[in-house]
Amino acid sequence: MSADFAVAWQVMKWPLVACLILPPLLVYLGLHVVKREVIFVDLALAQVAALGTCLALLFGFQFGDRNTFWISLGVTFLGAGLFSWTRSRHRSHVPQEAIIGITFVVAAAGVILMLSRVAGGKEELEHLLTGDILNVTAAEVGERAAVFAVLAGFYATFHKRFAQISSDPDGAFATGLSVRLWDFLFYAAFALVVVSFVRVAGVLLTFAYLIVPAVCAVILAERWLSRLLVGGALAATASLIGLFASYQLDLPTGAAIVCACGLLLVLVGLFAGFRGRAAAA
Amino acid sequence: MKTIALITFAAAALTAPLGTSTPPPARLSVVATTPDLAALAKEIGGDAVDVKALAKPTEDPHFVDAKPSHIVTLNRADVLIEGGAELELGWLPPLLESARNSRISAGAPGRVVASKGIKMLEVPTTFDRSKGDVHALGNPHFLIDPLNAKIVAADIAEHLSQVQPQSADAFKANLQRFNTAIDAKLAEWEKQLTPYHGAKIVTYHKDFGYFAERFGLEIAETLEPKPGIAPSPSHLAQVISTMRNDKVRVVLVQPYQNRKTAETVARQTGAAVLDVSQQPGAIPGTTTYADLMDHLVRTLVSGLQGDK
Repeated sequence: MSADFAVAWQVMKWPLVACLILPPLLVYLGLHVVKREVIFVDLALAQVAALGTCLALLFGFQFGDRNTFWISLGVTFLGAGLFSWTRSRHRSHVPQEAIIGITFVVAAAGVILMLSRVAGGKEELEHLLTGDILNVTAAEVGERAAVFAVLAGFYATFHKRFAQISSDPDGAFATGLSVRLWDFLFYAAFALVVVSFVRVAGVLLTFAYLIVPAVCAVILAERWLSRLLVGGALAATASLIGLFASYQLDLPTGAAIVCACGLLLVLVGLFAGFRGRAAAA
Repeated sequence: MKTIALITFAAAALTAPLGTSTPPPARLSVVATTPDLAALAKEIGGDAVDVKALAKPTEDPHFVDAKPSHIVTLNRADVLIEGGAELELGWLPPLLESARNSRISAGAPGRVVASKGIKMLEVPTTFDRSKGDVHALGNPHFLIDPLNAKIVAADIAEHLSQVQPQSADAFKANLQRFNTAIDAKLAEWEKQLTPYHGAKIVTYHKDFGYFAERFGLEIAETLEPKPGIAPSPSHLAQVISTMRNDKVRVVLVQPYQNRKTAETVARQTGAAVLDVSQQPGAIPGTTTYADLMDHLVRTLVSGLQGDK
């Protein structure tokens, strides 16, 4: 029994660490995204990051090369620039959500086009979607933890500004804040998070960590800090359930966590529904 | 009474290892990356080994989805048999890193690299990933040539004997039996395919080169423009015209390849799509290497019959 546990621990140790210490920053960003009502911005950015990775593969770099990371990051910065630029002050006829949706499908189609020229493209495509969180190494987790710590410091320092441009952009404009610049900084740091996380976790798991805990937190709590704590706790719970199921039932790890996230959202939704009915009665 | 029984038992237990009826040593846990290698390991290892394959028979050996059980299996393995020549490059190294098992680390007696003794075909002179599924060390689908299977079987026997010297004689005998069986079968297969010497066939991936070389067939085209690159319309048009000019009658597809593409091409040219596999177990009734080759040769003969 204990020998079994030792093996399980050895196999799941680094995935577990990655899934516990990295998601809180994603939850924070998810709260912004939900506030801004640009839900698909993260899926679109994750897809743009994947597009950048494909571009690097097309140049002949390997999936794990440093250069692949930098190319992917560069392309994602372009996407970040596009999103901050299209967020107009005045309501335009074209909602930003449309731009985001278009970016997503074009990036997704671009990935398919590029991978048709790369050996084993079909499988690389699947790899980009599902990632390889099971085989994450100590070095990969460490690097990302360091990057995330710096970015968390950045977001914490300027939280007031980011919170303002997320919840009240018009008010921010009125105070003379350069919303577009701060938006770009926000999205650029966002891009860095997404690019570094997508490389180990894949597009699906990145999106799930960004959105599902944030949505649950918005249902359950009111203030930024309590939402962040609730979201972080839910992300950790989903990680544990997903990793456990993956090991016990021998399922692909990333997809198991995504489904655990979905399951948690259903439970939170039911709980909120009952609570609402109880409050009304 | 009890004491006497105990003493007899103890005496029996003590003398048993010296007697003729030596208890069998613990079964070796042998892991093969693909089912074809696993089938060979079963032939050679016999009762002395437990064999597991990481890839499913219907899975592309270039791309295997990592699952926790793979790491656990590798962690407990006494012997790992890989195809080598970068066949498993995309998925095996990270699994091995997670498994942390020195018994099967590179260079250990417990690590068999099947490609080691093989004369590789299609070794590239230049290296460029955009040229397709670049296998810098040559085409890794060599086991489909029965003579290569014999080489790999001998390599497996040698490594198993190093890891478990007590069973060396058994491994040697099993190897002998396997070689004899394959020699007999090979004569049979060659006889069946002799009428079709020089026949042109089309395959999806560059995975039947060694087979064609052994049995005197010619691969006229592959549906993939380059190994690992999805078929494009212009390339398929070229394949269709080649097939019409050369009167190619058969297109070979494996379970994980896109049968629809083969069907489209077959429709345009009146050729037959033949479902074959290089992995035992993918097609019902093919458990051993010989079963697999039997099925392949039989299917090919029936497909080529209309040719003559």
